[in-house]
Amino acid sequence: MTVLKRNNVVEHGPRHAQPMVFAHGFGCDQNMWRHVWPAFDQDYRVVLFDQVGAGASDASAFDPSRYASLHGYAEDILEICRELDLSDVVFVGHSVSAMIGALAAAEEPERFARLVLVGPSPRYIDDDEYAGGFTREDIEGLLGSMDSNYLGWSGAMAPVIMGNEDRPELGEELTNSFCRADPEIAGHFARVTFLSDNRADLPRVPTPSLVLQCSQDVIAPEAVGEYVHRQLPDSRLVYLEASGHCPNLSAPEETVAAIKAFLAT
Amino acid sequence: MTSDDGLLGETAEDLFENAPCGYLTTRLDGTIVKVNRTFEAWTGFRRDELLAGRRFQDLLSPGGRIYYETHYAPLLQLQGSVREIAVDMIRADGSMLPALINSTQRSDDAGRPQVIRTTVFDATDRRRYEDELLRARQREQDIAQQLQRSMLSGTLAVAPGLEVDVAYRPAVSGLEVGGDWYDAFWLDDGETVGLVVGDVVGRGIGAAATMGQLRSAVRALASTGLGPGPLLDALDEYSRRHDIGQMTTLVYAQLSLGSRRLRFACAGHPPPVIVRPGEEPCFVWEGRSRPLDTFMAGAQPRGEAERPLAPGSAVLLYTDGLVERRSRPLQEGMDLLLAEVAAHRDDAPATLTTAVVRALRDSEHADDVCLLAARLGA
Repeated sequence: MTVLKRNNVVEHGPRHAQPMVFAHGFGCDQNMWRHVWPAFDQDYRVVLFDQVGAGASDASAFDPSRYASLHGYAEDILEICRELDLSDVVFVGHSVSAMIGALAAAEEPERFARLVLVGPSPRYIDDDEYAGGFTREDIEGLLGSMDSNYLGWSGAMAPVIMGNEDRPELGEELTNSFCRADPEIAGHFARVTFLSDNRADLPRVPTPSLVLQCSQDVIAPEAVGEYVHRQLPDSRLVYLEASGHCPNLSAPEETVAAIKAFLAT
Repeated sequence: MTSDDGLLGETAEDLFENAPCGYLTTRLDGTIVKVNRTFEAWTGFRRDELLAGRRFQDLLSPGGRIYYETHYAPLLQLQGSVREIAVDMIRADGSMLPALINSTQRSDDAGRPQVIRTTVFDATDRRRYEDELLRARQREQDIAQQLQRSMLSGTLAVAPGLEVDVAYRPAVSGLEVGGDWYDAFWLDDGETVGLVVGDVVGRGIGAAATMGQLRSAVRALASTGLGPGPLLDALDEYSRRHDIGQMTTLVYAQLSLGSRRLRFACAGHPPPVIVRPGEEPCFVWEGRSRPLDTFMAGAQPRGEAERPLAPGSAVLLYTDGLVERRSRPLQEGMDLLLAEVAAHRDDAPATLTTAVVRALRDSEHADDVCLLAARLGA
């Protein structure tokens, strides 16, 4: 199985333009970027993909030992870059994939030109001085609520993806058809994501980075975004008016404008 | 005029306020702008508390809040509606209200979403039932695993001049145990070891129980002095008569330490690998016959084959999970097996089996993998 099939890699825009790789976070798939990437495919080679276990990726490629930490997911990104022979990459990562991209950039810095980190958090659980926003019990509660939701959605239905569905107005006909995930893999990804601690990796990321911080984001609160900004050697922090954790969906114009301003510098 | 008029005259306001579900309207960021009386009653919050800038997601458990942000909100924005999402809401008194929520975005004439309408259903009993289902499923897995472990436990035959080891890896994907089994036991002559690797169709408790019955049957039949071919015939008869283990495949081999000979028969099972010192590992394709209980009337007696072994030779028996992958031709898997065995030919059985299984088992793990190796002393 090729890497491109494994991660359901989809490309748009001119082949020889600077590559721009978009990585979705926990809970959805590349549909997360559907209102954002069309603002870039004139000038960039847009590369979208699904994390293994999400969207239209090949769930059979899931290996619990490979994906026991975020490094396995970072390796996937590097493999995609190698497969497509990408360099000078602008990487745009949402949520946990912001950290996954940072790990990839720390691993192979020569491949990356810029990082755009949307709602990043290097650690979700509070730790002494550090306020991640959650306790370990909170995370156990999340895993519990995932179990009951997937029970409701039925395991047989869960992996069905409508990845090429690009008419959201038809949504009412479809019951939760976006962002399908293999329940067991999603549970594993949740555990790996929300128990991760990659604070020590941030100073190892030399790539110029943009941290996009939403208002009222319970998953990545302002203090966390500011922490990421302080720890990264070369970063700029931009506060978005968008509230919640998914400005790429709730405020795509503002998100696009912030990314464009950063790339213009 | 009918006598129902008094009921039909109920107002839209009453339908909203006293609906048999919680009903609320929020802004796109979740800020509550309207709630009904049922929602107030169920949550224990007063309307003025809820409308004082509180967001819907603030009423969820912390785990539910993450779920809201990572699943619910994106889905709602992508689809315009979400149905049947399970959440735990926190009541004013701190107690938990298990709920199912449905939401729809309400858009203006230009199609721009303006508000979100959400209905909340009390799912206390449903959640309890789901918990029971989850527990029952977990219990069944535990039983099946325990059953499988208890049947595969027990020491393998060892003696001076013989080393036996097994690598057994249950499938990773899927929750149920599979039906691969192995065995190595002494025959009554005291110098011959019976070796078995088999694969029962199906998964779960049923497969584990079938595997246990067949494993015992092989041991019992072996103690009557049957050779490999006749033993498989007798096992076939047992399988047919008792309706157990249809389409099971297995290989049964008798390894004689005294004469250093291997007698074996395969019922629809992948061929054994023999490794002789100084020679390339090879498959042995003789002694083959159909799987158990395949309803072939008047079938010939099952054949068997015999091979002499030099001191230091090894025999490998395995299940198809070791060589079969959806992503590559079977021949490739079998070539790979020979190559890996060749690379580890001089290792002790324990090292050999572990290394070969590690090399061949890729990320799919869709099937159980079992590899048994027996080596004669040099």
